[in-house]
This record gives sequence, structure tokens and C-alpha cells, in this order.
Amino acid sequence: MLLLEKTHQHQSALAIYCRTGHYKSIPGVNKKNITQYRSLVINIVDEMLKSAFPLVHNLLSTREWTLLIKDFFSNHPCSSPQVWYMPKELYQYLSSTKNHPLVEKYPFILELIWFEWLEVELYMMADQTVTHTSTGNIHANKLVLNPESQFQHFQYPVHLKSAKTITQADQANYYLTAHRVPETGSILFTDLSPALLYMLELLADEPHTFSQLNERICTDLDINFTEDIQSVTTDFIQKSLQSRLIIGFSIEH
Amino acid sequence: MVGIGFRKDFADELLRSSVLTPAFIEVAPENWIGIGGYWKKQLKKALEKYPLYTHGLSLSIGSPDELDYDFLKKVKLFLKETNAQIYSEHLSYAKCDNAHLYDLLPIPFTEDAANHVAKRITTIQDLLEQKIAIEIVSYYSPIAPELSEIDFINLVLQEANCELLLDVNNVYVNSFNHQYDAKEFINALPLERVSYIHMAGHQQISDTLIIDTHGEPIIDPVFHLFEYATQQLGKDVPVLLERDFNIPEMEELQSEINRLHTIKQCALKKENYVAA
Ligand SMILES: [Fe+2]
Repeated sequence: MLLLEKTHQHQSALAIYCRTGHYKSIPGVNKKNITQYRSLVINIVDEMLKSAFPLVHNLLSTREWTLLIKDFFSNHPCSSPQVWYMPKELYQYLSSTKNHPLVEKYPFILELIWFEWLEVELYMMADQTVTHTSTGNIHANKLVLNPESQFQHFQYPVHLKSAKTITQADQANYYLTAHRVPETGSILFTDLSPALLYMLELLADEPHTFSQLNERICTDLDINFTEDIQSVTTDFIQKSLQSRLIIGFSIEH
Repeated sequence: MVGIGFRKDFADELLRSSVLTPAFIEVAPENWIGIGGYWKKQLKKALEKYPLYTHGLSLSIGSPDELDYDFLKKVKLFLKETNAQIYSEHLSYAKCDNAHLYDLLPIPFTEDAANHVAKRITTIQDLLEQKIAIEIVSYYSPIAPELSEIDFINLVLQEANCELLLDVNNVYVNSFNHQYDAKEFINALPLERVSYIHMAGHQQISDTLIIDTHGEPIIDPVFHLFEYATQQLGKDVPVLLERDFNIPEMEELQSEINRLHTIKQCALKKENYVAA
């Protein structure tokens, strides 16, 4: 090891000061200027998390927000060299911290954070491809799910209601999907019933025809197949094709 | 050649407009590695139009921590996939005790730190199978220094046998903040190692402190120092205009590019006359 222990200690002291604001004397520093480093670092964390979490930022008071980001950056060693993963690390920190006061005060905050992260992650993630064609007929061809999609189950309607209006009474089962539109790269969220989600889960396993999907949801979920159900599922599949949640049709040989 | 930092804030405008005509673009690999969707498409379009130079942020060359070899492998792949012309990094550290700080912290100017950093640069160059250019960063306070800044830098460059990214604005900022003569500082550098130049604006926040913001236009004294540096260099080195915040109209950026180009051409012409 070429680096002397004392040099390492001085570097650690500066890094700890930047992360926590606790300054342990370092020889030869300009005491007035060294504070710039703490401000610059906190500013980067603040900007990054604000841009990833506009809804969380809007929910919290200025004081709560500042405490949250300072608490996070002091106690969580960020592990990714890619700064855009920082929002995910905030989620990891908060979800692994026992009795965090913000989680106690806002029982839905972890879901809200995850909801906002999901949008960032899907927007940024590497391209996933699947063989499909955009020409087809829902009655004749198998449907292919957009591989750039995720299913989500929430206990609070963080995707439906303004965070400030969510209460304990809203607690229930909410299902949704998020997907990336291939043409624009934008992210769309779709709120779903459990039966429709089940249809998509079947598609995630492998392409199915529309009638196969209808058959499976009725037998597996023990539902009587009625005209009403057919019209709901037809409407859902058509809308999903339009929104590109279902990306197209499988190529038959 | 004068290029510009490819920033998401004006990427769409750059790709659409004919006003801004950089000779190349620069990105930080960590902002683009593993990315898909909209921004991957935009980067692809940009790469069809411009050669790419790269400037890393998170490798943390000056860190006491072990090098992040997984990340370095990803950088290597990115450089290959994008046909990057140069890979540069900072003479600073951005990670310590396994925590990233996403900022450039000054390394203590000591002999052991210089040896440590030089060895890491050698390792990086071996793994990447190419030389890298190291940038002298702006700093606001020395940390437990035992050497002068210039002695520290020269020791690193000599031992690592790497190239130098001369950020003229950083030299100006440091000479102001630490009260030394910027030209003398440039004279004391091994200029034959300079393979890349950065130019940027800064913000003076007090009588004694300038912060390197990349958010303002380049000021005249920095243009003058650039002129001096290019005269001393006597060779054609690619120059990058860094503008990260407060993005102005494209015309304003282009006029800065033009001014840099003109200064460089004049300096090179003079050099040719002398040679003849
Ligand atoms: Fe620079």
C-alpha cells in the first residue's frame, strides 16, 4: 500500500465532513473555503433527489425534506458510480431503516418513493427487445407484452391520488403497470383490476391469443364468461395495443 | 478542433439546430452507460454526427478505496462501442470508504498520495489498453499538503506516464484562490503531455474565492490565459467548451466556440511562422 494511513485519514475526514457536516480538523485547510465542499455535495444530492421525486418533495415540508436528504446522505454510503441510481438508494435506505419518523408519519411514503423511482428506472433502463410485428388481428394472432414494462402492487393509491390527500382509509389492494412507449421513450402507468393484471401476467410468460387469455382468466380465477366480461377485456386489449403496453403480435411461422 | 459537452439540457437543440457546430462532443461515460430509451436514441443520433470524447466523473482515481474494476470494464466497453477518441478523468477523488460523493474532492498534495494515484493511473491505462488524460481540478482548499500543487501534479504525471488534460479555467480559478501566477504554473507543467484542453466559465463568490460552476460565459482573462497556453503548447490540441448550467442561446455558445477557434488558429499560425 503506497498511501500512508495519515493521508487516508485526511481524505476520510474530508469525505465524512461532506457527507455528514461533522468536521474533524485537517491540517493545512482553509477553514472558510472547506465549507464549500459540504454545500456542493449537499446541493448535488438535493438536486438529484428533487428531480427524481417531485411528488415526495411536494408532500414534505421544507424542513422534512432537508432532514431526509441529510439523514440519507450521512447514514447511507451510496454505492453506485452512476449518480442517477441515487434515488433508488434512498428507497433502499428508508425501507431498511426501522421506525423512520417519515415512514411513521406517512405510511405510504415508501410506496410513493418507489412509484417515482419506477418511472425513472423505466425511462433510463437499457433497451429490451422482443420479436413481434405490429400488424395483426386480436382474434387471430397471439399478443406480445411490451418487455419494457413492470407490474406493481401497492397498498395505497399513490398513483391515483395526490399524496397530501392519502389517508389510512385508502389502504386497499391496488394493481398497476408501468411501461415505456417504444417510439417516444415516455412512461405510462395503467391502473388495473386483478383479473386484467392476471391477463398481463399470462402474456409475460408467453404470447397468448385473445381467446386463450379469456379462457384462462375465467377458469383460473373461477369467473363466468359473460358478454360484459368479453367487452371489458376487448376494450382493455385494444387500449393496451394503442398505448403499447401490449407491443404487438407474435410472428407465426 | 473545438467541441462541446453534450448535455441533456440542450442535446435536442444541438441535434436539431444548425447554429451550434462543434467539431466533437464530450460525455461522462457514467451518465450514459447502460442507458436505453429516449436518451440512447439521442446519443446514437449525436454519434452519427460528431466524434466522441469522454470525461469520467466517478472512477475516483485519487481514492484510498480499491479501484472499481467492474465499473472500469463497463467504461472500457462504452469507449469501444462509441468509438471514443479519448478518455479523461480527474486528479481528485469522488468516493471514499465505500461511499460515492458525486463531487471532485482534492487529494492531499503528498508524495505517498502521488505515488498511489500514479500507480492507479498505470493500472487503469493497462486495463483500458490506452493512455488516459488526467485533469487538474479546481480546488478551494488544500488538504494536509506536504508538496506544492505543481510538484504534486508533476510527480503524478511523470510516474504514471499519462497525458494531461489542461483545464485553463481551473488553472485560472486555482491561481486566484491560492494566489499564484497562472502563467508560471502553466510554464512549469510538462506541456508535451497535454492532449486535451477544457475551457469554461466560473463564478466569483467573494473577494478571495471563485467557484468552478461551468454555469457562466468564459471571462476575458481566461480567454487570455488560453491564448497564452496555446502559444506555449505550439501544437494543435482539441479544446472543449464546458457549459453545464444556465444554458444560454445556441448562438452564444457558438460565439464562444468561434472565439476559441480563432485564438487557437492565430496561436498556431504564429508558431508556424516561427518554425519557418
Ligand atoms: Fe474541465
